[in-house]
Amino acid sequence: MDKRFTIVGIRPAPLPAEPPKSRLRLPPLPAVVLAIIVLGCLCCDFFLPKDPAYLDLYHANTAPNAEFWFGTDTMGRDIFSMIWHGGRLSLLIGFLSTFISTAIAVLFGTAGGIAPGWLDKLLTRVAEVFLSVPSLLLVIFLQAILGHAGVLSLSIAIGVTGWMGIAKVVRTEVRRLRESEFILAARCMGGGFFHNLWVHFLPNIFPSILFMVVMNIRGAIAAESTLSFLGLGLPLEIISWGSMLSLAERGLLSGAWWMVLIPGAFLVITLLCITELGEQLRQTADRQ
Amino acid sequence: MTHRNFWLSCGQKLLVFLLSIFVLSAAVFYAARLSPGDPLVSYYGGRAEKMTPEERSRAEERLGLHDAVHVQYLRWLRDAAHGEFGVSYKYKTDVLKVIWGRFPNTLILGGASFALIFTLALGLGILCVWYEGRWLDRLICRAGTVVSCVPEFWLSLVLILVFSVWLRWLPSSGAYTVGREYDLSDRILHLLLPVTVATAGHLWYYAYMVRSRLLDELCAGYVLFAEAKGLAKRTVLFRHCLRNVLPSYLSMMAVSVPHILGGTYIIEAVFSYPGLGTLAYESARWKDYNLLMVLCLFTGIAVIFCGMLAQILNERIDPRIREALPPQERKENGHG
Repeated sequence: MDKRFTIVGIRPAPLPAEPPKSRLRLPPLPAVVLAIIVLGCLCCDFFLPKDPAYLDLYHANTAPNAEFWFGTDTMGRDIFSMIWHGGRLSLLIGFLSTFISTAIAVLFGTAGGIAPGWLDKLLTRVAEVFLSVPSLLLVIFLQAILGHAGVLSLSIAIGVTGWMGIAKVVRTEVRRLRESEFILAARCMGGGFFHNLWVHFLPNIFPSILFMVVMNIRGAIAAESTLSFLGLGLPLEIISWGSMLSLAERGLLSGAWWMVLIPGAFLVITLLCITELGEQLRQTADRQ
Repeated sequence: MTHRNFWLSCGQKLLVFLLSIFVLSAAVFYAARLSPGDPLVSYYGGRAEKMTPEERSRAEERLGLHDAVHVQYLRWLRDAAHGEFGVSYKYKTDVLKVIWGRFPNTLILGGASFALIFTLALGLGILCVWYEGRWLDRLICRAGTVVSCVPEFWLSLVLILVFSVWLRWLPSSGAYTVGREYDLSDRILHLLLPVTVATAGHLWYYAYMVRSRLLDELCAGYVLFAEAKGLAKRTVLFRHCLRNVLPSYLSMMAVSVPHILGGTYIIEAVFSYPGLGTLAYESARWKDYNLLMVLCLFTGIAVIFCGMLAQILNERIDPRIREALPPQERKENGHG
């Protein structure tokens, strides 16, 4: 451009050079921490100093020291070992219930998106009703009614109550897609509901629900710990982060801070890392 | 909207309301009865285990647990229509009396948190927009992300540990010290921690909502025009943008009532605060059917009522919605 002339009156477009920098800079830390936690939980059998289920009553309520790195709980179990061991179940429940709710959400949302108006309206109403009741309250009722829980029933209870948000997005996306030619073509060639769902809708929907799916994992892990804490989830002898914290309430008034702070810190750090990853995913999705 | 249409829509809403309550009550009734568990334990305590079969059957007969479920349901429905909701198995008094004893506590806790959440959220949201992109904005957003990752029960535990166990400033449980029931300052001391937790748990979500709505609003054409006219930033933000955001904020407030009340539930459990939440938990756990039914109905009515309130508020304030379809894309929340 000629140097003698400058264009006035037009605001220069904001430089699009900003995003790549943040993409490079931010993800490593949460991803690395999360990877350490997940791998540590999965491979904990190889490095645990103590048996997490062993009740060492002689050393109950010990503050962190050289032998028990994170101290022991009121039943004399080694908290360091319990954290890694219990993390497995917490993460497993997180993934399992997210899988369940995603499956329900995709089925429900696609059905709503494809269905004729009245059915769509009905399905939306149903989702709306579920959504307006706090889902944790719903799980609590479900759990209280089901009685004592195992890993599977807990995951189901959490999964069944957490699908509405994703279903809404799926429905909107399917609505958007269903008029496009490739869906029309697939239908003309006789593709059934599940075929279309699996082959055509899902790959197109997935990027937009990925963020919510990741957030769902976070919600499910938090829900597990809350339920176990309240005594409605896993019992004390099945070790998870939630059941560890439910024991912490007893140690609380005697000032046993290590029972409260250490497992909770692990829980919060895990949740935080998952959130960060989810945010990253959303930002990359938005940019595309 | 003409006068006749108004009454028609009111009647329609009432019908939907009654129908939903009916479906809800039936669902809860069946779910509670068909699930495993022994209601006699809640009535007789440990004695229920030692009863002979004849005694059991007589006790069940007396509590009306012998009939088929639909007969029980119809009987319950008939009594409920007369305003009789039966006797709580555990407390052995009228269900409504049990609930009335607890209700004010929950109302105070929930109301205080509700008021705090929405004033603070509005304030924080505006603050973020005012300093958009600068360190204060980033700090608030960051803090919000972190706090939203902390489960409420753990936050309560940490606060109890710090303020009750270590510093000994605040009480760790209950709604009042025994014997000082009418001491206001004592009550407030007991409320401080629960209200803090309830507020911290929900605040960020709504503050973030205000922030993004306001930012959307700032991109509108009229803002450019107002700025071009030479209006101050403050005037534009408060007189124009905020006004456009407030209707949706109000309706969000109405929708969030059950969420916040539901959230106090966990807090009540941790702080052993005698409110409806702990009552609901006990009733579901110990199969106190009559109490459970009323509590569910109560929650359901609150949820439906608030949903309708939100819709009406929206229609009243924003004439654009009145003509169009009812708002459906309002709230989005995963594990509330």
